[in-house]
Amino acid sequence: MAAEVAVAADQAPVADDIIVARDVHKWFGDFHALRGVTTTVGRGEVVVVIGPSGSGKSTFIRTINRLEQHQRGDIIVDGVEMTDDVRNIDAIRREVGMVFQSFNLFPHLTVMRNITLAPMKVRKTPMDEAEASALELLERVGIPEQADKYPGELSGGQQQRVAIARALAMQPKIMLFDEPTSALDPEMIKEVLEVMKELAASHQMTIVAITHELGFAREVADRIVMFDEGQIVEDLPPAEFFNNPRHERVRRFLSQIL
Amino acid sequence: MATADTWQPAPSMPPPRTETGWIGWARANLFGNWLSGLVTVVTVPLILWAVWRMVSWVIGPADWTLIASRPQQFLIGLYPTEYAWRPLTGWLLVSILFGMAAAMWGGAARRIALGYGIITVLLGVLPYGLFHEGVVMPWWVRAFILGNLLTLALGYGLGSNPKTAKPRTFVLGGVGIYVLLLLILIGIPGMEEVAPRKWGGLMLNLILAVSGIFFAFPIGVLLALGRRSNLPVVKVLCVVFIEVFRGVPLITLLFMSQVLVPLALPANFPVDSVTRAAIVITLFSAAYTAENIRGGLQGLHPGQAEAARALGLPGWQVTMLIQLPQAIRNVIPAIVGQFIALFKDTSLVYIVGMLDILEMGRSIVQGNVQFADNARELFIFVAAVFWVFTYTMSFVSRRVERHLGVGQR
Repeated sequence: MAAEVAVAADQAPVADDIIVARDVHKWFGDFHALRGVTTTVGRGEVVVVIGPSGSGKSTFIRTINRLEQHQRGDIIVDGVEMTDDVRNIDAIRREVGMVFQSFNLFPHLTVMRNITLAPMKVRKTPMDEAEASALELLERVGIPEQADKYPGELSGGQQQRVAIARALAMQPKIMLFDEPTSALDPEMIKEVLEVMKELAASHQMTIVAITHELGFAREVADRIVMFDEGQIVEDLPPAEFFNNPRHERVRRFLSQIL
Repeated sequence: MATADTWQPAPSMPPPRTETGWIGWARANLFGNWLSGLVTVVTVPLILWAVWRMVSWVIGPADWTLIASRPQQFLIGLYPTEYAWRPLTGWLLVSILFGMAAAMWGGAARRIALGYGIITVLLGVLPYGLFHEGVVMPWWVRAFILGNLLTLALGYGLGSNPKTAKPRTFVLGGVGIYVLLLLILIGIPGMEEVAPRKWGGLMLNLILAVSGIFFAFPIGVLLALGRRSNLPVVKVLCVVFIEVFRGVPLITLLFMSQVLVPLALPANFPVDSVTRAAIVITLFSAAYTAENIRGGLQGLHPGQAEAARALGLPGWQVTMLIQLPQAIRNVIPAIVGQFIALFKDTSLVYIVGMLDILEMGRSIVQGNVQFADNARELFIFVAAVFWVFTYTMSFVSRRVERHLGVGQR
């Protein structure tokens, strides 16, 4: 199954690719951060992205919901091309949830308001409905009792789970994770990974996750994509990626982080 | 060597006695080293001596007749005596808000309403000659003042009733009462007009301050957002506005207002000097408020806006729901400081010939031989009045900060 997907990724984009990136370039000033990234992600696929810091992996997933603008190439998300058109951007952001390394919960709102804000303001969901589904989500991430607290009163692991619930509340088709466990104490990493594994196993949505939790990658990823110097250097199913990478660079990187 | 079985946490002990309490405090702060000890030994007696001299003058030879015999001028300036019922009516309306706030928010609001009620009772019953020197205060004036207790209670009732006790009702009611107050003071059609030129005393300081704060805050928010705007024209306009109003002394602006504000309005547009002064004070304060708020926005983690945008919130909602509330909360101390400065600056309207509480007092001292020696009493009194209001503002600020700090790291 996973191998089939990997083969598909090497071929031309097919109709069911929810994310299509073609020769994407991005500069920060003179710094060439993305140097021609081409890849596709199929609907329901779980892709783990790894790579050294400064390799462009974070920049790349941020171009998917246009927190960063690419300057050359095409990005097509769920059939919509990412341009400066604000309506397209807003439409895509409704379908793409994102979880950040530093949680970025809104400290002035309770956990409940953090989760219901976007459904109520963007999707115009009535309050009672939004709160009911927020409670369900909190149940799902394992902290229903924290609904009325403020983010500052929660542990890092709990905050990150709230952040996941907040993103899920918009019922996105795609979830982007930008190093969701890097800022956490070791004993809290597990509780966040459990939630992510459960999400991945449900195959309800497409997941693109930057993480250096290789156990997680091995267990749930359909593909592992490695970035270096603004390019994709490797793109393989986990078994091959770890046992039989095609590039020496991957072996060196793995030996550094293992 | 502690093993897994025998290990016990060490018991928690109290800190050494010399490190805590007032002894510890004095050792640390007053006698930390020989120089600080010397400074303490020399300055403490000096300060005590100066304070003693002041206090013994205030309770001894000081003559407070000036204050006690002219309350009308201190409160409403030269507002015509025959229409004194108008500001008194306005006062009654304002009391409703104090009562309502006390019932709705309790805590600090209740303590403020209590102090307000006590001052009102004192003003109503103390034996001084309100409204005419040497003449006993008319009974109806005392009745009006004590009537504030009724409206205070009315407000408390409104604030206790779940139907009316809503922040929205309070704010709309507050704005409505304020507009009504101004209309009563000027005179709604059918009433004799009392031009703002004739307003004065503490009433004038308060009206200028409340109007200033009411308008300076939203204008300041807009200027702060404009200065961060991506639209070059908006940005440049805001920067120029802020830098001009911050770069020129308020006194200069007040002088200029007499010439410049009419230029910005249609010919013969009736703008009296009070309104001009109010506009200038407001804009001056708005420029400072804008910079405070901009500082608050600058201090926010960029991840806040990113997270909001990633959720699909449109730009203006990111600003209104996520960035501004946090930015404003973080700069409440600075903003309240700015509003305290604004309140104190209202005294500068003497420049354009207005008789605020300070200038009113000065003109009484200068114009009456019997009060020629009472300038000291006057200044102490005026300073105390200002202090009561500014201290209340900073008290509210601290309480609001603490309240909003819930859940903050």
